[in-house]
Order: sequence, then structure tokens, then C-alpha cells
Amino acid sequence: MPKRLDLDIIAAAIILSLIGLAMIFSTAGSAIFFKQIIWFVIAVFMAFIFSKISPRIWLNLAPFIYIGIMLLLFILLFTHGAYPKRWFKLGAISIQPSGFAKFATILFLASFLASRKKVKNFSDILAPLVIVTIPAILIFLEPDLGAAQIFFPILILMLYWTGMPAIKIFIFFSPIVSAAASFSIYIWVAYFAALTIFLFFHKQMSDFIYGLVSNFLAGLTMPVVWNSLREYQQHRIISFFSPWVDPRGISWQIIQSKIAIGSGGLIGKGFLSGTQKKLEFLPAKHTDFIFSCLGEEFGLVGIILTTLIFVYLLYRLLVLAKETKNKFASIFVSGVFAWIGYQTFLNIGMTMGLLPITGVPLPFMSYGGSSLLACFMAIGICLTISKSKFRY
Amino acid sequence: MDKNITKFKLLRNIIVVAFVLIILSTIRLQIIEGKKYYRLSDKNRIRQKRIPAPRGKIFDRNGIEIANTRPGFYVSVIRTSIDKTTLKKITRILNINEKTIEEKFRMEKNPYMPVKIAHDISYKQLSTIEENMDILKGIEVGVEPLRNYPYGELFCHLLGYVGEITHAEIKSDGNYSINAYIGRMGLEEYYENHLKGTDGIEYIEVDARGREVGKITEKRPTPIVYGKHLYTTIDLALTESVAVYLENYERAACVCLNPQNGEVLVLYSKPRFDPNLFVHGLEKKEWQILNNSPDAPLYNRAIMSCYPCGSTFKPFVALAALDSKMITKEKCFTPCRGKYRLGRRIFKCWKTHGKLNLVNAIIYSCDIYFYQLGSYIGIDTLFSRANDIGFGKRTLIDLPNEKSGFLPNRQWLEKQYGMNWTEGHMFNLSIGQGDLLVTPLQLAYAFTVFANNGEIPIPHVKKREKYDYHTTTISKQAIETVKQGLKGVVSFGTGTLARVDNFEVCGKTGTVQNPHGEDHSLFVGFAPSDDPQILVFVFVENAGHGASIAAPIAGKIMKSFLIQRNAVHHAKKT
Repeated sequence: MPKRLDLDIIAAAIILSLIGLAMIFSTAGSAIFFKQIIWFVIAVFMAFIFSKISPRIWLNLAPFIYIGIMLLLFILLFTHGAYPKRWFKLGAISIQPSGFAKFATILFLASFLASRKKVKNFSDILAPLVIVTIPAILIFLEPDLGAAQIFFPILILMLYWTGMPAIKIFIFFSPIVSAAASFSIYIWVAYFAALTIFLFFHKQMSDFIYGLVSNFLAGLTMPVVWNSLREYQQHRIISFFSPWVDPRGISWQIIQSKIAIGSGGLIGKGFLSGTQKKLEFLPAKHTDFIFSCLGEEFGLVGIILTTLIFVYLLYRLLVLAKETKNKFASIFVSGVFAWIGYQTFLNIGMTMGLLPITGVPLPFMSYGGSSLLACFMAIGICLTISKSKFRY
Repeated sequence: MDKNITKFKLLRNIIVVAFVLIILSTIRLQIIEGKKYYRLSDKNRIRQKRIPAPRGKIFDRNGIEIANTRPGFYVSVIRTSIDKTTLKKITRILNINEKTIEEKFRMEKNPYMPVKIAHDISYKQLSTIEENMDILKGIEVGVEPLRNYPYGELFCHLLGYVGEITHAEIKSDGNYSINAYIGRMGLEEYYENHLKGTDGIEYIEVDARGREVGKITEKRPTPIVYGKHLYTTIDLALTESVAVYLENYERAACVCLNPQNGEVLVLYSKPRFDPNLFVHGLEKKEWQILNNSPDAPLYNRAIMSCYPCGSTFKPFVALAALDSKMITKEKCFTPCRGKYRLGRRIFKCWKTHGKLNLVNAIIYSCDIYFYQLGSYIGIDTLFSRANDIGFGKRTLIDLPNEKSGFLPNRQWLEKQYGMNWTEGHMFNLSIGQGDLLVTPLQLAYAFTVFANNGEIPIPHVKKREKYDYHTTTISKQAIETVKQGLKGVVSFGTGTLARVDNFEVCGKTGTVQNPHGEDHSLFVGFAPSDDPQILVFVFVENAGHGASIAAPIAGKIMKSFLIQRNAVHHAKKT
């Protein structure tokens, strides 16, 4: 087999970034556009550099990168001025470490999971859980709930990819479902009954006890946690369920985003001609809601094409994860797949009103240097993995 | 790695399902509901801008503006682009209640439409707002035409006022937008459709903060239609004189008509209010003070107050008697000894008159004579004639809320007091006391029967080419006879203080006994008697005798009018 880079992956990432750049030009004007171009150039360059470094070196570097980034988050949280503490200001540029934290966590988690002989029991989940919970809590305290929660789907998918049975993963994380269901006593009781029956037929005593106790406690403590959330975070969750109640509040964003996409029609209003975007009806139009602008200006055609590229990129990552013989590399790619895939569908679902507003940027497309850089760094490692995928 | 293939397939399928879901929901948004969202995006950016039509002006009979428009600054707010601190700031600057603003917000369904929260702000407020414009986001200041009454309180009841439309009124009449002004009371209410015009509509493009970005060319604007002017028969100079003559009295009403064609020259009521205040929009407290005041300043006494009319009713009793041919003018009854016994009750006269014929009984206003006359002709004769002349009915003047007064008939008396209602009721009725109630305008209207020989012109405020008349069946001869008495009243009877040099005046005084205080003082009369140019009715509450208070005032009013008129005639001739 010849050694070769998986050019499709980098090509898809670059095309998505270019579409993103066009939309940033349309929504935010030339100053921000040029800033993002610089970030884009740096990001592609970094991907190139990273693709030259062998996976083995990454495996050895992983703990150091992880610890470094965690320290950075820690310093940010405890030394930086006022809330929210999401950015490091270094002169003219500001760096958002949460993007790099995902990269570092995936890298370290992959190296950790690869070092285990088997990942089968609950006890095997604990250490990986700690690895993701540290950055999740640090980011949650910034506070950035949207960025913090992404770590857990990534963890679940990486565990699954490593070989953890899906049922085990479900039972382990089922308290989260219990917590979500606790908003309504009826739903929770129904859920708990169904869970009990399921665990009974699962026929494992330890799972049975763990499942019932943890779910019961989660359902009990959730209301307490809910009250500790910040008001705007509560509001986001509430408004998702009844978006037309308060047109000026957070649901205003969902409505305006849906109007932007819906009014685009089949072929859109044309590049630079979106009225929702131009007249500032659309919130966070060059960051979280850039996909809505795409829908408004390029219509269904634009959305299908862009989404297809995302899907293709994800598919190529999945194929890479499958074909890579090296355990660490395979798990790492699955983590990148989970990261980009989850964030993409979460963001797009949010702009269409299918999912709650979480303030998660669209990978490659949303304005923001740190996020772009982190994505391309991950892609760079995927490239070096693709080059050497059959060697181990 | 067989397991990897299963996992791969599962994850691949998840991606495919997610992709399909996204595409399906995009198709729903963009294709199936695309038109709806396109409309919504247009609704976001295109705003109807109303350009308020100025109300028509109102002129007096000589072409002087008694109501016009002036420019005023207003403050409007877009609900969706204002935050609480800004709202607090603006309420402090404008000195208004936050609740008032919230009420107005509730009226406007579209959250992106600007809502006017204050009209006619002062220059000081304007400059404070302009200075702080950068921190007052969502606040707009504009100019609008506002109603202005240059003579302030003088014409308050006649003209009425304009006020901001209420929620309920918008609901019942789709022609108004919120923040529109609507005429209330007086001519402003009666001629609302004539005066108001139609607002123009422009389409503008706005951004999310509601700021105007440009004009929309694809939608055609609706042109503004100005309100029509209203030309009235009101005499400004005479009204001003009336106001001066009644200056010293708290509560009074005055009506001056041209008895030949029904043109209303003066329609005056006291106490007054300032109609200009309503342009700002009164705070609830201010309104309650006005509305609940015991003197009822918002009440137009000239057409809305029902009073007993006292002795001014006597000529009509005489007229009914003569017209029914039940008596002649020489008819005498039991002479006046100052008292008259009816059963156990004693009815008094205000003086001892001795033996009088009909004409003298009018001249000296003898109660004893009229007790007997009324009782002699009976309720049916009196009712049919008085009803024909207009008692108990609206005059149909072009003003809202006119009251009809009350004239009792046999059925009503029987119902009210039983079959054995006594002559005592008839006695009271004959001297204008008891159950009879009239409005000042109504009495003036009825009195034109003497001034215009039985033809009563319908009173009106808007100038007309053709006049409407109510023709009574009263005989001319009867009218002429009573008129002799009315001349005598002013020449040497009870109403001598109403005399006007060089002109012969007909009139009748009236004093209405009032259980709550001083008597009400009345005088009704017209001049010159052979060719009446003006008919005056003066009603002064709690002032004393008609002869001493209302008569001299009426005399002065007639004099002012006739002198002024003669001067104009004279000037025209030379």
C-alpha cells in the first residue's frame, strides 16, 4: 500500500472554511473577514506542520499537552479579570482555550484508552470520566455551558469506539436521562419504571443496583442543580420548549434564525443580500448563526451542498478510524469525528430550532480563530494518521 | 476488527439519519413554509409609517380660527429595542408613569412598531432627550400636528376637545390606529369624520433596532388626506363679551341664536376647562379631578343640564290658552292677594298684584294668575301646545349629548302621582316649577316661536346655505298677543334692566326656587322686537332674581351685538 495523505479530509475542511470565510465577509464585513483569513492561513499551516509529525510522537506528547492546556484553563479562571472568562487577551488577538481543550482532551483520552487492555466495566469508565470532567468543569465555570457539555458525547463515543458495550455505556450515563426526566414527575416515574424492567432483564446484579441507585439520586438532586444554573442558562433551556412566548428574549434568536433560513427559499436571496442578516435581525450572525445566513443567502441549494461536505468529511474520518490499525490513532480519529460531528449537528439543529441554543460554533465556518485553529490541528493529526494507517 | 465494522456502520447510519433530518427540516422551512418565512422577513424589515393627517380647522362666523393645528414633538418607543434602564430614564425625563407606557404597549400588537408614549413634550425635555440620544436606544422623537385652541377655555364646551383613542375605541372602529386622536364632546365629536382626514401611509425599511434605513419603493404609499375645515355660525366677539359679563358667576349658561334662521351665535357654559390640556393626554388623577368635581366643568350646561325654567314658562302657558281659544287676552281670574288657597295648601305669589288681565299678568309675572290659568286650560291643552313648541324634545342641534328635558303629560302624572294627582301639580307646572325640566338651548329654541311668528328654525352651529324650520300650529294672533306682554316686561315690567337704548326688546324673567341654595336667575329675550336679530337666554345658577341678575346681563349681550352689527352695517353703507 502506498503512503499517502487522505487529501479528501483536508480538502473538505478547507472548502468548508472557504464557505465560512465568504459568509463571514457577507455578515461581518471586511475587517473581521481579513482577521479570519489570517487565522485560516495559520490554521492550514499548522495542519501541515502537524501532519508531518508521526502519530507515535503525538502519543508521547499527549499527557503534556493535556496538562498544559488544563493549566492554561486554570490560570484563565483564577487570574483573569471579569466574567465571562472565555478568552485570553494577548495584545490585539484573543484566544479561546476551550477549543484547544477539546483537542488536548481527545488526544490524551485516546492515548489513555489505547493503553488499556480492555474497557468493559464501570470501573474502566471512571478514569476517562475524570479526564473529561476536569476541562468540562473548568470551562463550565468560565461560564460556558455550551462548550463544557461537548466533552461528554465525545467521551461516550470514544468509549464506544474503544470497545465498551453500548448497554454498559447507557447504564452508566443513564442518571443524566433521569436528571432530564425529573422536570416532570410523571415522565420520571415512567422512565424509572421502564429502566427497572430493562435492568431486570439485563440480568446483572451490579448493573441493576448501580442503575437504580444512581438514577434515583440523579432524579432527586436535579432540581437543586437546576436552581444553581445561571438565569440565562435556565432561560435558554426553557425557551427551547416555548420559543414564541418571549419574542425579545432568547427565543427571539431562534425565531429570527428560522425566518432567515425559511425566507431563503430554494436558491436564497443572493450573496450579500440577506435582509435578516443585513438589518441585524439575526443575532450572532457571523459566529453561532452563520449557518442561518448561509440558508438565507444561498437557500436550500447552499444548505444541501454545505451539509453534504460536512457529511463527507465526517464519513472520511469514520473510514479513517475504521481502517487505521493503530489503536491510539483509531480512537483519536473517532474522538475528532465525535467532536466535529456533534458540534456540527448541534449548531445546525440550533439554527433550525430543532435543538436548544447552546452557543456552540459551527466547526470551520463560524468566526473565531481559536476554534478554527483547534479543528485544523486535529485534522493535521488525522492526516499524519492517514499517511501511516497501515504501518502498525 | 469485525466489531469495528458494526460500530462503523452504526455511526455511519447516524450521520446519514442526521443529514436526512437536516435536509428534511430545511425543506420544511425553505420550501413548504418558505413563503410564510419570507413574509415574516418582510414584516421584520418593512414598516408602515403613518403620517398623521392634520385635523381641519374650525372657524367662527367671521372666519377667525377658533381651533387649528400646531406642530408638537412626540416621543415614541419600539418595545423590542428598549431595555428596562432606558425605559426608566425616559420616564424620568418625561415625568410619566411606567404603567401608562405599559398600557400603551399592550395596545400595539406588533412589537416592532413604534408606540408614542408622550405627546407635545417641552423644549427642555426635547433637548434632554436629544443630548442623551446615544444612551437612549429605541427612543425616537418626531413632529406631529396637534390640535390647538387659540382661545383656550372660551369655547371648551362648544368645541369639545381631542384625546388619544382608547383600546376599546380602536376595537370598535377599525379606521383608527393606536396613538390616533379622536374628537370628544362638542363639535370635535359631532364632526369627527368631517374634521379628521385620513392618515397617509409610507413604507420604510427598518433594521432590527427599528431604525429607519431607507424607503421601500416596491409598495405604493397612501397619500395623506387633510381634514376638512369647519365653518361655524359662532360669533367670537360676542362670546368673549358673554364671558366677561358672566365673569363673576361660578355656574352659568348662555345661548344666543339668530331667531330668524337658527344660527347659534353663542353657546356658553361655566365652569370651564382648558381643552388644550387633553392634547398631552391627562394623567388619570387630573382626569378624575376634572370629572368628579362637584361643579362638573366638563358638562356643557347649555345643552346637557336640565333645569326648571320658572316664570319664563308663563308666556307659553298664556300662548297655549290663547291658541286653544279658551280665553281672550282680557280674561281675568280671582285677583292676586299674594296668596291663593287650594284645599289645605297655600300657594304664594311673590307680590300682591291685584286684578290683572293676561298681558299684565305676563308683564308683572303674577303667579296667582297663572296658577288659575293653568288649572283652567288643563294639562292636555298645555301639553299639546308646549310639546308642539319643543318642550320635552331635543332641538336636534348639531352637537352630541343634547338632553331632551322633560314635559309631563296626563299619563305620566297619573302614573307618578296616582289618579288623584291634584291641581297643585298643575299650579306648579304653570309657573315653570315642579316636574318640568328644560335645557337652556331648548328654552331659547322654544322662545323663537315669539321672535319668528311660529316658525322655529332648527338651531345649528355649522354654517348652512338652507335653513330647516319646525312650523308650529300656534295661531299668529295668539303669538302677537303674548308678544305684547313680552314687550311690556322689558319696557316697564319685571325685566326693565334688560332694556337696550334705541331698540325694543321682548323678554321674560325667571327665578327658579332652589332647595339647595340661592335661586337660579333666568332671562330670555330677543331684540329688536319687530325684526329680531338676536335671541338671548341667560341662566345663572344660585345668583338671585331673574330681574336683577340675568336680565341686565342679557341686556348687555343684546346691546353689544346690536351695536356691533349696526356699526358693521353702517360701515358697509358708507
